[in-house]
Amino acid sequence: MDNSKDCSMYTEHIESGKRKVTLNLTVNGRQVVRDVDPSMTLLHFLRDNLKLFGTKEACGEGECGACTIIMDGNAVTSCIILAVEAEGAQITTVEGLAKDGKLSILQEEYIKADALQCGFCTPGFLMSTRALLDHNPNPTDEEITEALSGNLCRCTGYLPILNAVKSTVERERKELDR
Amino acid sequence: MISRFTYFKPHNLIETVQYLEKEEKSFVLAGGTDLMILLRRNLIDAEHIVDIKALPETAAFEFIDGAGLTIGASVVVNRVVDSEVVKVKYPALNQAAASLASFQLRNRATVVGNICNASPGADLPPALLAYDAVVNIAGTQGIRQVPLHQFFTGVKRTVLQRGELVVSVQLPEPGEGDKSIYLRQTRLRGHDLATVGVASRIKPDGKVAIGICAVAPTPKRLFALEDMINERGLSHETIEWAAEEIKEHIHPISDVRSSALYRLQMASVLLKRGLFNLIGKED
Amino acid sequence: MDEKKYQSKYSRVGQRYDRKDAREKVTGQAVYTYDLELPGMLHARCLLSPYARARIVSIDTSKAKALPGVRAVLTGEDSDILVGLYMQDKRVLSKGETRYQGDVVAAVAAEDEETAERAISLLEVVYEPLVPVHDIDEALEGKILVHEDINDLKHYEGVFFPQKDSNIASWNKSKKGDLDKAFDESDLVVENEFSLPAVAHVPMETHVAIVQADPFSNKIKIWSSAQSPFTIRQIMADSFGISESDVEVHIPYVGGGFGGKAGIHLEPLATLLSKAAGGLPVKVRATREQEFNQLPTRAGMRGRIKTGVTKDGKLTGIKAVYDWDSGAYADYAVNVGKTAVYSGLGPYAVDNASIDSKTIYTNKVFSTAYRGFGHLETHWTIERQMDILSQKLGIDPYEFRMKNLLEPGFETMSGEVITESSGSPKDCLTAVVKEIGWTGRKTEEERQREWKTGKVRGKGFAMLQKAPAMPANTASSVIMQMNGDGHVKLMIGAVDFGQGAITALAQIAAQELDIPIEHIEISAEIDTRSSPYDWNTVASKLIFMAGNAVIKASREMLRKMKEVAAQALRTEPENLMHANGEVYHRHNPGRRLSYKDIALGYMYPNGTGIGGPLISSGSSIADGLTNLHPETGQGNPAAVWTFGAHAVEIEVDVETGYIEVLKVASAFDIGQVINEKLVFGQICGGVLQGLGSALLEGYKFNKDVQLLNPSFTDNKIPTMKDMPVEIVPIYIENPQLNGPYGARGVGEHPMISIPSAIGNAVYDALGINFHVLPLSPEAIALGIASGKKSILCTDVDCLPGLH
Repeated sequence: MDNSKDCSMYTEHIESGKRKVTLNLTVNGRQVVRDVDPSMTLLHFLRDNLKLFGTKEACGEGECGACTIIMDGNAVTSCIILAVEAEGAQITTVEGLAKDGKLSILQEEYIKADALQCGFCTPGFLMSTRALLDHNPNPTDEEITEALSGNLCRCTGYLPILNAVKSTVERERKELDR
Repeated sequence: MISRFTYFKPHNLIETVQYLEKEEKSFVLAGGTDLMILLRRNLIDAEHIVDIKALPETAAFEFIDGAGLTIGASVVVNRVVDSEVVKVKYPALNQAAASLASFQLRNRATVVGNICNASPGADLPPALLAYDAVVNIAGTQGIRQVPLHQFFTGVKRTVLQRGELVVSVQLPEPGEGDKSIYLRQTRLRGHDLATVGVASRIKPDGKVAIGICAVAPTPKRLFALEDMINERGLSHETIEWAAEEIKEHIHPISDVRSSALYRLQMASVLLKRGLFNLIGKED
Repeated sequence: MDEKKYQSKYSRVGQRYDRKDAREKVTGQAVYTYDLELPGMLHARCLLSPYARARIVSIDTSKAKALPGVRAVLTGEDSDILVGLYMQDKRVLSKGETRYQGDVVAAVAAEDEETAERAISLLEVVYEPLVPVHDIDEALEGKILVHEDINDLKHYEGVFFPQKDSNIASWNKSKKGDLDKAFDESDLVVENEFSLPAVAHVPMETHVAIVQADPFSNKIKIWSSAQSPFTIRQIMADSFGISESDVEVHIPYVGGGFGGKAGIHLEPLATLLSKAAGGLPVKVRATREQEFNQLPTRAGMRGRIKTGVTKDGKLTGIKAVYDWDSGAYADYAVNVGKTAVYSGLGPYAVDNASIDSKTIYTNKVFSTAYRGFGHLETHWTIERQMDILSQKLGIDPYEFRMKNLLEPGFETMSGEVITESSGSPKDCLTAVVKEIGWTGRKTEEERQREWKTGKVRGKGFAMLQKAPAMPANTASSVIMQMNGDGHVKLMIGAVDFGQGAITALAQIAAQELDIPIEHIEISAEIDTRSSPYDWNTVASKLIFMAGNAVIKASREMLRKMKEVAAQALRTEPENLMHANGEVYHRHNPGRRLSYKDIALGYMYPNGTGIGGPLISSGSSIADGLTNLHPETGQGNPAAVWTFGAHAVEIEVDVETGYIEVLKVASAFDIGQVINEKLVFGQICGGVLQGLGSALLEGYKFNKDVQLLNPSFTDNKIPTMKDMPVEIVPIYIENPQLNGPYGARGVGEHPMISIPSAIGNAVYDALGINFHVLPLSPEAIALGIASGKKSILCTDVDCLPGLH
């Protein structure tokens, strides 16, 4: 983690006894400044404060990956991160995948491979996949499985998801000139 | 989560330990992968959270010839997994790190956090124990060093006192020809706590070191067994013997994850497979 | 899976369309009940009983009520409302006695979740722990009754049979032939017992409901993550003593169900809280822990089976006794139990048989429908027994099954005659056995040789069957309206919770109307005020029932369209054909009209209009079904059987007990593939859920019947690392003549019999018969270590730590 971005934050005790911390971060390319309660999780911050409802909670304990987002380049489970820990961070959520009114290759390939059924785990899977391919544009099946097995899906049996990731790799290589 | 706490992210170690000593209901936050669960389940009542990730001392992750490896308290597990020097010098630690939890959690979970949580089934301690790891603890009186095998005092309990903070863990450099392996048994291939985890190491002089988790109230180094093995001299026969003998050195319990009987059997199998692997026989 | 492999003979039915809801789901736009926020909405939390069975001595709510932000605190003293699908046996809030660790003792609605949670922590409850009913045997002894008032419980009479002064919520029976004589005349009679634990559904979206109860009328508005909007409406009306029309149910996107969201769950509690909070909307959302220990599971089951057979391998008689550990409430479990009496023999022809199926109350987490509705459980019994019989007879298990499988002219357990239109179990078995290259069982010598390597491979297979378990008068309906652009709005009452219903139904409509599937406007969101009735979205019956309704509605629409077009084109409707969104004259194709020219009524050049907006509807009702005779179980319960078979190859690590699944080949006689992509998804997903039940999953209780694994930490489901190395789906298409394009359902079937096939493969590999699930590494390793050739429930139960 790059410590240069951190600023020491003392909690301000304001009169009502509430505790607020001012938080600066970038979400899906947009600068965000908000006062938050230090006990708020990053997931709740994204949903309740920023109204980004694509990121889901399915266990609240980091075990299922439904709340996965990309924070400073890494896939992380936002349900067990405090919002205040994201000070200065660059965050991407599922809402940040499509650009210029066009679905990303990744999203298109998930659709094509039928890599989703109920769709509740899908945002988390997309973010884990995005983080993987950003680090490693040509992953092996084992590397894909390693990066995605922290995301639980009860519908698809995972094979269509694996297929979607592999076809994304193919297309990104061709179309993004990787 | 019922706890309502303040958030403090210090840059100065002295300031940090003073704060931890002053505020009784303060808890240290690094990766948060264990702390957040305790908070969510209302198992702890926190009034102050101290985020140590801005402390320069906790960011250390370096290998120095002769001195060995230092892993600061903010170093996440995936950094250890990706480290070439760890792969080469401390293969059991690499394997243990790569087997811990899930990929996303390893992006947050820290090596030191895995020690401080002091879970009986923690995956990293067996390898760290086998490498004679030493824990660097900062307090208001200065730094003290505790060998990892003396660090754990019980289930979820350590020697840490109020006002103390683990800054880093340190592993001596293994000699040329040092070999090690970490094997674990789980209920499924995907992320799971270890039913049993065994780190086996053969040092350049042929002596073994064995660390194990999930078979006692704390992760353990099996010194007595090591002595017995070393006395006999490492051989196929000794390994077969040790695989039986290990059952006398551990005291697993039965819980929701496994019966004691199965843990005994797996400790035996994993030790045998580990040592055979290290001496070059595919079991 | 080779994408190009499957070829459909139709232009739209059978084609691999992307699912219609996919775009919203990959962009984060899909709104689930979990995401919904309403003005003034309160959040609820529940206090659950910490004991499996306890008397509530006192509850002090004063501190909770005094907490700022708390708007309602309820206990059992505040309401006596009872709910239940088939047995009205469940209080919304416990009073007097709690019946499982998970019963709601109190509930709070507050301005935010944190305040509600804090209020819960301020409740002071004094309990007197009582001795719980631990298991089936204790329950059958009947010394302690889980429901003291069982004799008075309101229930669905004539279909379910609660036994007086007992813990038996329903005892269903079937019998035919002369079983005693059959056993006397058999060359071999084999008795066995098989069992399996309760298993959780694990939808990724936990149960969640929002209710707004109008304080000035009986009106209740519900938003729920549920599979069965019309059932919720009916049960709410029944329990609250209001009219069905007073209840409106909205179903946004649903994050998985698998049967666990059929019926009614959190809605009544949210209703009471909303009423108590002056009519503000109240959201009740289960945490993952509550999803495991409060919401229902699949029942644990014990099957005892006695089978007679001739020495050349012909089944002569089967006596099966199925005991279901339903936990504290009956919910869907009584219907699961009922289903076992007509489907509990598997797809085999036997002249002499009896089945006794008891749904039994204990103090465990209660149970409900789960994908396969009892069939995974009964097939675990039947298909393992078939394998053991073939072992004892020394007959190849494939040959043995082929001698006994149902075929046209044979009767099912309930006396229904199988026809060519019913599909073929034999085609399925033959296909999968060929796919895995079955050449017969391993010899003991081969096993020993492989054993030395530490890994032993084995192959196994198992049959499966299932028909929708539904009331004899089950009905579906759809409404269709043409828009001005010639597109068609298709309204349904069934819920698409991921299985792909809206896409498949749109394909059927597009096929019938001959327009692009993109021109079918269909929503996954259901609103009982405007959506047409559909009984329930369960049982793999949707494509069959609603699909037929779509065909009817489409044909009515075409008829109406052609009537108008005939006037406009100055001909008879009989002369008109349709294709590609146009109606044309069969002799002079130049005389034609586009659908959109007729959609809202045809307009002559002078402005005069005829026809009006095109609208049509279609209904379907289960055809010729009957209730079963209470004593003999004879009747016609099955609208559509889907037969299937799985064959697997596994590799067992003989020291750690870990089973690696190398290959799963699965064949289903589904009559007609509607969308190969979606069917493939159902198979992959179902197979992996089946592997969860086979290898991994199961509830574990301590001696006080408290759940030991109420979280993902210890209640694991398979991950991407746990996929089989290879899955081969095989589609058999013997059409069902009254199915839409010949199609049958396949949503649940891929899960059924996966454990049986794995269990049979374990025998092939190890020469050991396992009688209990899951086949965890621990169970396999300790089973091997025990030196026994049969591993029974008691062998594993005795393992320290498991009980």
